Amino acid sequence: MTEDSQRNFRSVYYEKVGFRGVEEKKSLEILLKDDRLDIEKLCTFSQRFPLPSMYRALVWKVLLGILPPHHESHAQVMMYRKDQYSDILHALKVTRFISDTTPQVEVYLRMHQLESGKLPRSPSFLRQPEDEVFLAIAKAMEEMVEDNVDCYWITRCFVNQLNNKYRDSLPHLPKAFEQYLSLEDGRLLSHLRACSAVSRLPYDLWFRRCFAGCLPESSLQRVWDKVVSGSCKILLFVAVEILLTFKIKVMALNSAEKITKFLENIPQDSSDAIVSKAIDLWHKHCGTPVHSA
Amino acid sequence: MAQPANVGELLSMLDSTMLGVRDDVTAVFKENLNSDRGPMLVNTLVDHYLETNSQPVLHILTTLQEPHDKHLLDKINEYVGKAATRLSILSLLGHVVRLQPSWKHKLSQAPLLPSLLKCLKMDTDIVVLTTGVLVLITMLPMIPQSGKQHLLDFFDIFGRLSSWCLKKPGHVTEIYLVHLHASVYALFHRLYGMYPCNFVSFLRSHYSMKENLETFEEVVKPMMEHVRIHPELVTGSKDHELDPRRWKKLETHDVVIECAKISLDPTEASYEDGYSVSHQLFTRFPPRSADVTTSPYVDTQNSYGSATSTPYSTTQLMLFSTPRHLPQTLSSPSARLLPEPLQATLWSPSSVCGMTTPPTSPGNVPSDLSHPYSKVFGTTGGKGTPLGTPATSPPPAPTCHPDDYVHISHTPQATATPPRKEERTDSARPCLHRQHHLPNDRGLEDLHRSKGSVTLSDLPVFLGDLASEEDSIEKDKEEAAISKELSEITTAEADPVVPRGGFDSPFYRDSLPGSQRKTCSAPSGTRGSIVNPEPFHSSLDKRGPDTPKQAFTPIDLPCGGADSSPAEDRDRQTSLETSILTPSPCKIPPHKGTGFGSTQPPPYDHLFEVALPKTARYFVSKKTEELLKKVKGSPEEDYVPSTSPMEVLDRLIQQGADAHSKELNKLSLPSKSVDWTHFGDEIRTLRDQLLLLHNQLLYERFKRQQHALRNRRLLRKVIRAAALEEHNAAMKDQLKLQEKDIQIWKVSLQKEQARYSQLQEQRDTVVTQLHSQIRQLQHDREEFYNQSQELQTKLEDCRNMIAELRIELKKANNKVCHTELLLSQVSQKLSNSESVQQQMEFLNRQLLVLGEVNELYLEQLQSKHSDTTKEVEMMKAAYRKELEKNRSHVLQQNQRLDTSQKRILELESLLAKKDHLLLEQKKYLEDVKSQASGQLLAAESRYETQKRITQMFELEILDLYGRLEKDDLVQKLDEEKAEAAEAAEERLDCCNDGCSDSVAGHNEEASGHNGEAKTPRPSGIRGSYGARGAGGSSSSSELSTPEKPPSQKAGPLSSWWDTTVGEPSTSIPTVGSLPSSKSFLGMKARELFRNKSESQCDEDGMTIRSLSETLKTEQGKDSGVEAKSPLNLDGPHLSPPAPDSVGQLRIMDYNESHHEHS
Repeated sequence: MTEDSQRNFRSVYYEKVGFRGVEEKKSLEILLKDDRLDIEKLCTFSQRFPLPSMYRALVWKVLLGILPPHHESHAQVMMYRKDQYSDILHALKVTRFISDTTPQVEVYLRMHQLESGKLPRSPSFLRQPEDEVFLAIAKAMEEMVEDNVDCYWITRCFVNQLNNKYRDSLPHLPKAFEQYLSLEDGRLLSHLRACSAVSRLPYDLWFRRCFAGCLPESSLQRVWDKVVSGSCKILLFVAVEILLTFKIKVMALNSAEKITKFLENIPQDSSDAIVSKAIDLWHKHCGTPVHSA
Repeated sequence: MAQPANVGELLSMLDSTMLGVRDDVTAVFKENLNSDRGPMLVNTLVDHYLETNSQPVLHILTTLQEPHDKHLLDKINEYVGKAATRLSILSLLGHVVRLQPSWKHKLSQAPLLPSLLKCLKMDTDIVVLTTGVLVLITMLPMIPQSGKQHLLDFFDIFGRLSSWCLKKPGHVTEIYLVHLHASVYALFHRLYGMYPCNFVSFLRSHYSMKENLETFEEVVKPMMEHVRIHPELVTGSKDHELDPRRWKKLETHDVVIECAKISLDPTEASYEDGYSVSHQLFTRFPPRSADVTTSPYVDTQNSYGSATSTPYSTTQLMLFSTPRHLPQTLSSPSARLLPEPLQATLWSPSSVCGMTTPPTSPGNVPSDLSHPYSKVFGTTGGKGTPLGTPATSPPPAPTCHPDDYVHISHTPQATATPPRKEERTDSARPCLHRQHHLPNDRGLEDLHRSKGSVTLSDLPVFLGDLASEEDSIEKDKEEAAISKELSEITTAEADPVVPRGGFDSPFYRDSLPGSQRKTCSAPSGTRGSIVNPEPFHSSLDKRGPDTPKQAFTPIDLPCGGADSSPAEDRDRQTSLETSILTPSPCKIPPHKGTGFGSTQPPPYDHLFEVALPKTARYFVSKKTEELLKKVKGSPEEDYVPSTSPMEVLDRLIQQGADAHSKELNKLSLPSKSVDWTHFGDEIRTLRDQLLLLHNQLLYERFKRQQHALRNRRLLRKVIRAAALEEHNAAMKDQLKLQEKDIQIWKVSLQKEQARYSQLQEQRDTVVTQLHSQIRQLQHDREEFYNQSQELQTKLEDCRNMIAELRIELKKANNKVCHTELLLSQVSQKLSNSESVQQQMEFLNRQLLVLGEVNELYLEQLQSKHSDTTKEVEMMKAAYRKELEKNRSHVLQQNQRLDTSQKRILELESLLAKKDHLLLEQKKYLEDVKSQASGQLLAAESRYETQKRITQMFELEILDLYGRLEKDDLVQKLDEEKAEAAEAAEERLDCCNDGCSDSVAGHNEEASGHNGEAKTPRPSGIRGSYGARGAGGSSSSSELSTPEKPPSQKAGPLSSWWDTTVGEPSTSIPTVGSLPSSKSFLGMKARELFRNKSESQCDEDGMTIRSLSETLKTEQGKDSGVEAKSPLNLDGPHLSPPAPDSVGQLRIMDYNESHHEHS
């Protein structure tokens, strides 16, 4: 009740009028004030609203389990994490897997490999496709998160989440994508089918890499908010929205290769709108996640 | 409808000499005209008039009433068309019009007017034209609004006639032209006066033409010299002039005066306003107001007249009294004072009412004014009365009088008294009036004429004597009567300047040749002495009386024959007059005869110059010129175009009259008739001339009538003003009276007010007294009221008391009753108690008895049961005590119960608290647990990572070792070959020792390993030797595969086991060359390999992990307290404890935490 009284009573109406995110920051702050953070509430919040960038790293870390829900242990845990990071880094350096010149992203990759015990015998070993996914995500993440340690941890946990939590749902996304596309724009889908491009759409880019490298980071992090908070369906709607946005161009293209190529390099200027629309679309089809108190 | 015969008869009767018949017939005609509306009678009358020229008919015709006007006009119109009757009909029309019939406004609509205009335009007979023009001029003021339609006709007529004046077409005699000129001149004045703008524009257009230029120069321009600029030329416009509204306000005489105003011609002009008025005022007022001595007139008087030692007083009188003063001065010196206010009142109207009343004509206003005046004096003094009228009559020539008187006074100086002189001069003046009057007289003033004739006959004698006062008085009386008449008739010819004109007129001139030079010199002298028109007047006055007086008689004659006698008389008169006048010495001042213009002007001369700037000078110069010419004997008439045509005409008339009389004188009557034919032509001319003259005179008379009308109006206004003034005075008196009244009333009011205030004061005092009384009474009343209230309250109290007392009484009664009742009860009770007492006594007795009995029995009883009672009592006491005890016990128990219950409650609450606390603790615990688990997880992951790192490091180290060993192997290959046999032996020993165990373990391992592993296994189991051997035997294979470490691992294990068993470790120093720690390492390495192979088979991985865990625990224990576990390490047996330990760990963990917390 006290929380409610602290909140602006007008906040309810802001959204009706079309203002978004006016009160979100405050409510998020209220949420974050709790000792013993309520992970579920945070999840719901980040699914409903875009996260303020200043709290994004914290929320992500909490949601991804990098930080425990207790504020008290944050410092200690974070210290552990840092130690762990530095240990790994040290080890890698000792074993000469990496050097100072090694790009940070690759450092992350090696560290991840080391942690997952998949470190190849030699750095020169060929990379697996999953390594490429990691690299892409890490690269995007590097843009979003400043601190290396945080970046590594978030990337690691994000990838782990993709590999563990969404392992089952990710393969179903292309099907669902087709379904929603048909709901939104049957003609486009039929065009794609006609071009036999449906199966050749950049699903890997979209769903495995979560649009890393496809959308600019500023837009991407809003998508990833939803992914981190436990919804991988947003990816599907982003994809649908991309197709809808570039419908005319896509319709103009006839061959599957061209479509794929275009979709892999979509222009970035309208990404914000795409993401906003995609979130709307997602809310529309899956309903606004209700706070389960 | 009168029968023609009857009418003819009547008409003939009308001309009968019998006055009575004539009157009767006239009455009959008038009756007929009243009853009959047809044109017949009028036509007949007109015809008759044309035939006979009969006066009665004319009288009837001129007095025709409304319905017949049309017939008359139609008839006239008809006759105008005919040339033969034109002249007579026009004269008829003139007569009719001059009388201003009530239907005159119809003239403008009548067809007569256009035909008249046409006639004027067409006709060539000058007589007709002149008559017509005069009629037209007479008519114009009556029908001013008709100008609109006929204006151009008027102008055309003017243009035509003016040109005629010059061109003299055909057979026209010059005599006629003079008449025509005069009438044209009158027409000019009329048109210019009435329609100045239009007329001027007409003149401009008409005379801008070259052919008319000469006419303009000769005829019109001189006429224009006699007019002022009309104000309408400045303020008005052509349209405004013709506006009927402008004319509606003006009556006929107004129009006439309007026209006269703009004339500068003294004969025509009206002095009603403008400079003429100022002139009169100037001349009139100074003498009146000025002091006797300081007056400039004294000087003039002295210079002129007093040289011959005139009685100073008379001259003074004459000087100082203006003509109006004369009567007063004459009547009596004492009366002089009296009239002055009167005079003031009389004269004030002229200036007060602003009507410019002062008439230019001598007979007009002054005579009118003098009527009451003269009457007043008539009663007082005979002399004064007659004098009054003439004296007032010539006001326009006031300045002349002194001089006049001077002149005259000189003549009779020696003999005549001053008053008489005055009378004389005055008497002369009325004569002058009469002179003008006479020609106009027709039959109207027969009475006066006859009277005049009587006096006139005496007059010459009288005049000749100049001494007979009686005659003069008589004459004066007559003059008064005549002037009265004159004033009543009022002719337009009464213009004062006319005498002047007359002086210059042909009459005068004509008389000159016949008369002595003296006459000429006399007027010239007078005129020379005073350069003013007035002297002429005066001089003419002296001369004038004669001519008219003679004219009286002939006037009775018909018009045609009237000419002879007047001329004769005039002649005679002039001679007489001259004879009269000659004696006056002052008339011929020495310097007069020489130069007229150079004569020294009187001091007031400049006034006239101011008043009549140019005309006067011009006029005077002209006159002198004329006179000079006349002196020379050149009686030419129309050589002076600039002279007023009126004057010319006047002169002509005079001349004509003279000529006529001469002619007639020459001829005897019979011869006259004989020579009728011979002289017919001339006679006709003369007749025409006479006619023209007649017309002219008629026209003048008409003007005079207009003036008279106007004068009457002015008089009315004057009278009204006087009346109003009277009224004002009366009102003032009344006002004064009322003011007095008011003052009286005011005084009384003040008195009343004082009384009132006194009364009020009294009343006030009374009122205050009454008020104080009232107050006292009120006070008393209040006191009484209070008293009464007190009494009332007392009464109330008493009542209450009474009520209370009553209640008390009631209560007392009640009590009494009650007590009575009680008493009765008590008495009953008493009786009862008595009875009870009795009973009680009885019972007491019984009791006593019974007590005694009881005692008896008690004694009996005591004696019987003394022991038992003791026992019982003891028992009872015991029981009681016991009970007490129990009771206290119970109490105690209860208390305890209570405390325990409380305690229970306390404890319960404590318990709840504890529970709550516990819950909280649990929660907290959970919290902390989760926190710890979080931390633990982090730590775990860290540990995991560490493990990974370590693994990596191990791998690395192993790798490095592998490389090292490889190098060693290459070096020791030879040495090892030699010791191969020994190694084999040792291997056998090893086999015997741990056969059962190793076999099982190897079997297990073998199942998981490749075939390759079989070869190293036995060697591994058998010890380091075997391993070495195996290594030696299959060195190549070891290099390529990692299978070697297991064998190595086996080695250490066995060696460990060996050492623990107690076997001498010295036996395996070589084996010990492999570091003791290597046994652990090897195991690790093996595990690593296992891990490597995990990817192929996961099951093994699990066991290996568990194994590793066991190892870890063992390491953690380190001390190796339990020897069993190393024993169990071998083979699959090792695996069971591993999961156990894990489980233990978990449990322990929980427990530990639990313990920690607890």
